[in-house]
Amino acid sequence: MIELRQVTKRYGQAAVLKNITMTVGEPGIYCLLGRNGAGKTTLLKSIAGYQDITDGSITVGGRAISTAAMDTGVSYIENFARHFNLPVRKLLKIASEVNPEYDYDFASEMMERFELDGRKKFNHLSLGMKTMVSTIICLASNREVILLDEPVLGFDAIMRVEFYDMLAESFEKHPRIIIVSTHIIEEIAKTIEKLIIIDRGSILFFDTLRAVETKAFSVSGLQSAVEAATQGLKVIGQDTLGGLVTRYIFDRPPEPAAQIEICPLSLQDFFIQMVGHKGGGKR
Amino acid sequence: MRAILAVVKRLLASNKISFIITAVVTVCATSSGETVLSNGNYTWLLAVLSPFFFVFYDFSKLIHLGASKRDYYLGCLAAYALLALGISLANTAIHLVIDPAYQARTVINLMDVCRWTENGIIAAALQQACFLLLVMIFLHVLLSMQAHWYGWLTDAVLVAVICVFTPIAPLRSVLAGFFGLIMLNGNALVHTAVCLMLSAALALAGLWVLKRKTL
Repeated sequence: MIELRQVTKRYGQAAVLKNITMTVGEPGIYCLLGRNGAGKTTLLKSIAGYQDITDGSITVGGRAISTAAMDTGVSYIENFARHFNLPVRKLLKIASEVNPEYDYDFASEMMERFELDGRKKFNHLSLGMKTMVSTIICLASNREVILLDEPVLGFDAIMRVEFYDMLAESFEKHPRIIIVSTHIIEEIAKTIEKLIIIDRGSILFFDTLRAVETKAFSVSGLQSAVEAATQGLKVIGQDTLGGLVTRYIFDRPPEPAAQIEICPLSLQDFFIQMVGHKGGGKR
Repeated sequence: MRAILAVVKRLLASNKISFIITAVVTVCATSSGETVLSNGNYTWLLAVLSPFFFVFYDFSKLIHLGASKRDYYLGCLAAYALLALGISLANTAIHLVIDPAYQARTVINLMDVCRWTENGIIAAALQQACFLLLVMIFLHVLLSMQAHWYGWLTDAVLVAVICVFTPIAPLRSVLAGFFGLIMLNGNALVHTAVCLMLSAALALAGLWVLKRKTL
């Protein structure tokens, strides 16, 4: 279980994480979404004990997490992680030696499946293959918490599909908390169970994907009809085009009416409405 | 234990450049004149080079492979102990086998300069190993601190101590006394005890630094 209590991280005057309180209790695959600079990597690195927070506390499985933790029980891999320039098979072998909980069979199987040349040295691999090696090492570590920071960076479409399958298989084999940060939202939706949206250092949303599917809607129509249909509901965004209005809600479905159109929101649209189009087109 | 041994193995395996540089310098170094430097002295280069690789090259890579900070640190200490013994044995062997080959010339080996050979060759080898262990742990701690303000402060303090203590006679004798204790010491028991105690103290300081190390 991961517990964050009033976690704040500042770099100088800039607060990157702002008073975050969150409990990730149950094993599952969680997706961490956020815009660039929202604080995703800082949050993951703080949970991994790679850096200290300014205020608050983080615990994983009851253990306090900071850079002082000599063994965190967390496996974190960042994109562009550097490894020894050794053949891939040897890297996986060393990982199994330095980590007693490591699942070498899983790592070998994944290496075969992704057609990684075990004899090829790490520095000679493509960006996607390097990321894949790092991800395999992280998933095979069998730690109670796995944190993957932008793992699909540099993957082609086929590799991404394979990666999501690998993620699901790994979880099935060893149920634990896996948090994946990504920008490719729709693709991961089939794999994840819960969604965490972070924006400007604060957690905006933390709930199941099912909640998004059953509560996130767009309501379009004439302004008066849309306003009437969404009265009392939680509106997370609004678009206006001439006399037509579209309101995005996260609540119970509105009552159907003749002058309005109600559509479920895709995960990507929900995310865009939650973080509020900042920096996007004219609203 | 298996993880610590794996870390030791990896640390030594990725230290090839240090081994090669030391070997080349030791084999190729030449001296001329009546008094010559023993080639064995250059084996100490390995003790100076290794901490650079352990701190700046191996740490992040081992952590990314899933090693814990605890196993990394214990692995480093074990690797330093092994290296200290290895270097000491190499220099002792050179002192016993190669140095006598320079007939009619005075050969200077640091084991003699430090008066360790006064207690017999086995004690000298042990004293040398303890001193080299101290040097490596000292360098490890100093290098680990360089990313933090207190590392730079320590550098400044060390430079200031040397600059201030060297020209002033009473302070110079304090500095000489310190080096007399940790290095130029003919008393094997006192010397090894001091080196081991200082190594332990520095290892604890290194633990404090490691606990603040970010990635």
